[in-house]
Amino acid sequence: MSNEPEWLAPRSLEEALALKAERGEEATVVAGGTFVGILVNQRLLAPSAFLSLRGIPGLADVRVSDELRLGAMTTHRTVELSPAVRRGWPALAHTFGVVASPRIRNHATVGGVLADADHASDPPAMLVALGARAVVRSVRGEREVPVEEFIVGYYQTSLAPDELLVEVRVPGSPHRAAYRKFRSRSHEDRPCVGVAACRRGDDLRVVVGAVAERPQYFRELCVLGRDPVEIGRAYADAIDPLSDVSGSSEYRSRVIAVEVRRALEDLAS
Amino acid sequence: MSDSRVTGAVRFAEDVELPGMLHACVLRSPYAHARIVGVDTSAVPPGVVVLTPGDARRLGRYGCQIQDQTVLALDRALFVGDPVAAVAAATPREAQEALALIDIDYEPLAAVFDAVEAAQPEALLVHDSHTVSQNDAAYFALRPQPGTNVCHRFQIRHGDVEVGFAEADSIVEETFHTAAAQHAHMEPHACVARWDGAALEVWTGTQTPFNLREDLSRAFGLEPERIRIVCEPMGGSFGAKTFLRTEAIAAALAHRAGRPVRLVVPRSDEWVTLNRHPATIHVKLGARLDGTLIAKQVACYVDTGAYADCGPGVAQKMGFAAPGPYRIPNVRVDAFCVYTNLPPNGAFRGYGQMQSTWASERAMDLLAERLALDPLELRLKNLLCNGDRYCTGETMRDVNFVECLQAAADAIGWSAGRRGKGLSVVLKGMQTPSQASIAIEAEDDGTYVLRCATTEMGQGAHRAISLLAAELLEVDVHRIRFPSPDTSLVPYDTRTTSSRSTYMMGRALEEAVHDLRRSGSRRGHGKVADEGGLDPDTGQGIASTHWHQGAAAAEVRVDEETGSVEIVHLHTTIYAGRVVDRPAAELQNEGSMIMGLGSALYEEIVFEDGAVLNANLSDYPLLAFADLPGRLTHDLLEREGAQIHGLGETALPPVPPAVGNALESLGIRLTELPMTAEAVLDAVERRAEATA
Repeated sequence: MSNEPEWLAPRSLEEALALKAERGEEATVVAGGTFVGILVNQRLLAPSAFLSLRGIPGLADVRVSDELRLGAMTTHRTVELSPAVRRGWPALAHTFGVVASPRIRNHATVGGVLADADHASDPPAMLVALGARAVVRSVRGEREVPVEEFIVGYYQTSLAPDELLVEVRVPGSPHRAAYRKFRSRSHEDRPCVGVAACRRGDDLRVVVGAVAERPQYFRELCVLGRDPVEIGRAYADAIDPLSDVSGSSEYRSRVIAVEVRRALEDLAS
Repeated sequence: MSDSRVTGAVRFAEDVELPGMLHACVLRSPYAHARIVGVDTSAVPPGVVVLTPGDARRLGRYGCQIQDQTVLALDRALFVGDPVAAVAAATPREAQEALALIDIDYEPLAAVFDAVEAAQPEALLVHDSHTVSQNDAAYFALRPQPGTNVCHRFQIRHGDVEVGFAEADSIVEETFHTAAAQHAHMEPHACVARWDGAALEVWTGTQTPFNLREDLSRAFGLEPERIRIVCEPMGGSFGAKTFLRTEAIAAALAHRAGRPVRLVVPRSDEWVTLNRHPATIHVKLGARLDGTLIAKQVACYVDTGAYADCGPGVAQKMGFAAPGPYRIPNVRVDAFCVYTNLPPNGAFRGYGQMQSTWASERAMDLLAERLALDPLELRLKNLLCNGDRYCTGETMRDVNFVECLQAAADAIGWSAGRRGKGLSVVLKGMQTPSQASIAIEAEDDGTYVLRCATTEMGQGAHRAISLLAAELLEVDVHRIRFPSPDTSLVPYDTRTTSSRSTYMMGRALEEAVHDLRRSGSRRGHGKVADEGGLDPDTGQGIASTHWHQGAAAAEVRVDEETGSVEIVHLHTTIYAGRVVDRPAAELQNEGSMIMGLGSALYEEIVFEDGAVLNANLSDYPLLAFADLPGRLTHDLLEREGAQIHGLGETALPPVPPAVGNALESLGIRLTELPMTAEAVLDAVERRAEATA
């Protein structure tokens, strides 16, 4: 009979990085546990060790300077309710606030939702639209990765086996942003289509989430002043959406056209 | 009573701990249909108890209505999830790991997944023959069709539909479909089995202790009296915990082990344990220009999955409810309970009623549209009233369909405009024939103990029956004790289904109180039996000794660019006769309505080659509190001196058609459940094409 999985609970980031360097992919990182818990319960994952980040001080801090710094262990609920985030990045607070239910949001973390790279999540699209960067650490040092390059495919990130995501940095310059979560089913469901739009000066970013392996952003289609109807259609044409229990590929294409247009209208209003 | 559920003190079957107890796990077929060629358990470590098809072959066959089940699949696995082996070990983890060491060699076979296709004469056969069960749950005449997948056929023949349709000014014809659904009860199936010599004890959550005891007696070749079923309180059931589910596997493992065995079904396996019947229903409805109904013909194809379970009863109930609560001189119904290679389907809050009401009440609105009549007026013109005869030949008494429907229509302001609004009405039978008995024991301390088989699943039956007892005995309700039913201590009862317990057990209780007073002894006994039943070939007789009645009204708003439906207001009016426990009755209404909305908008088990794709609570779309309508209202209709009418299920079936009819008022026509946003958007586009 095999042994129970090992539970690694480092008390400092240095200790965690050393463990990660030593154990690599053999140790599954646990933040809030809302994603890993499902995988384990469904027997899709049976690692020999779990590496919990819960005991590491400082990883759940929200800091505001010229930019927003969210520690990887910051919960969705904290982002949703933080007065500083609501003041400076209201669309981001809104996006974290439409995930699942309060019970889930009290556990799910900023780092977890990026590192699990589940396509059917809300925050990644908004973070890409806002131009956020992921801060990644290992015993070898620190690097910053734009969120659009951090998630590379279905449940795939650009993290090396010895790296941990420790922080997310969101630029602070004046912007207008909107997030539209379209659910085809229950309110607590994952998005069928999520559209994040952000305008920063002359820069417009429209990012569609939950429809493909990673957030979909087409720089060339985001032309300021172009008719939102046209941009919506262009996004629908550019994306080959997945089919699942939340909706067929054809249905998602129709919804993308509508919701991209509506997000741009929200931005203008 | 409810306190223990709130505080967590309540003990479910999963919490039963016995000394030396082992933990069971079940190995299930990955194929929808496969011959079992070989079973190799040699890698399983000693100390782990294994049950194989070879062991199950030595046990008896069972089945509550058709005797088509064995403790494990013997020669063929019949659905993805069919149990083919089981183990018991000292810990759940060891049992889980031992499963991976069992090697089963399968030869995959062709499979059938659609009931209409499976009912055809040339379809491949899921079972070679059909043996009608001797179980008391086979309470009506069964008509299996030899050489086909139809394990029961029920018919109504009333008047002459050909003549009726010839006289009709307008005829609508449509095929309706409803999806498979999962009960999603919070507490999973769980049981503990222990042998004491040649006697078997089972602790389990079940709505059907005596039917379970009968099936276990067949499986193990024991006299029923040698089996004791202790009914632990359930954390929800909705029909899922009926008849024999996991108890035989646990008992067989316990027998081999010589130790008690606990079996808890993992959440994902609930989708292969018992689901709701998908149904395809053809309706042809004819009327005169003024809306008078003149003929109705219905064919129901009821997909019972790989084992019949109570599917024959579901098909029969779906069939006799198919005409709806209307006066129709010419009726022809054919209901087929059909095997497929899907997981078994069984009782689900309403027992076929939701499927039937969806087809029946949608057809009424199609007819209203065709005749350019107000859907309310069309219904009022045809609704059954006291003294009318139903198509089964029985005379309707204490029926209040008109009052229920009018109240529902008024609640959503029907007369102020009907755009975006829909109505429906439901006639639902109660299990007939059926019987109930109860014993009351007077204790020295002035308390009374109720001994009866009514089980508690959160529906509040124990509270309602205790309140009735307190009233009859003229004592405070705190003086009434109602222990969990134990078949060695309680008299026989048909079962806790069909919204029958408060009505049937309430009457038995009255007898028991009379008996207690008359005899002057410490024990009173009461028993009631309702006779009746239908001829399976003509549908004539007594379908129900009393009728559950109600109506629903919905107001919707639609995002016509995405197909999203917003329920602005949902209302039901349910006939209660007499309310016993008002807060509980209201909760039953609300729970039924919310579950009905799930069926209306979201819930569907998605299969691919017979395998469930959404067997978890993340992908399976239950309604959440944030999905509740802007207004969710309901009322309970009472009448002075009326009998108690059960109401545990009545408010569910009329909800989907009320929503469907509200969409119909916007020209958005749907015939299939669930009415997903995608289906609604497709219907919006069909409307645009039709008017272009």
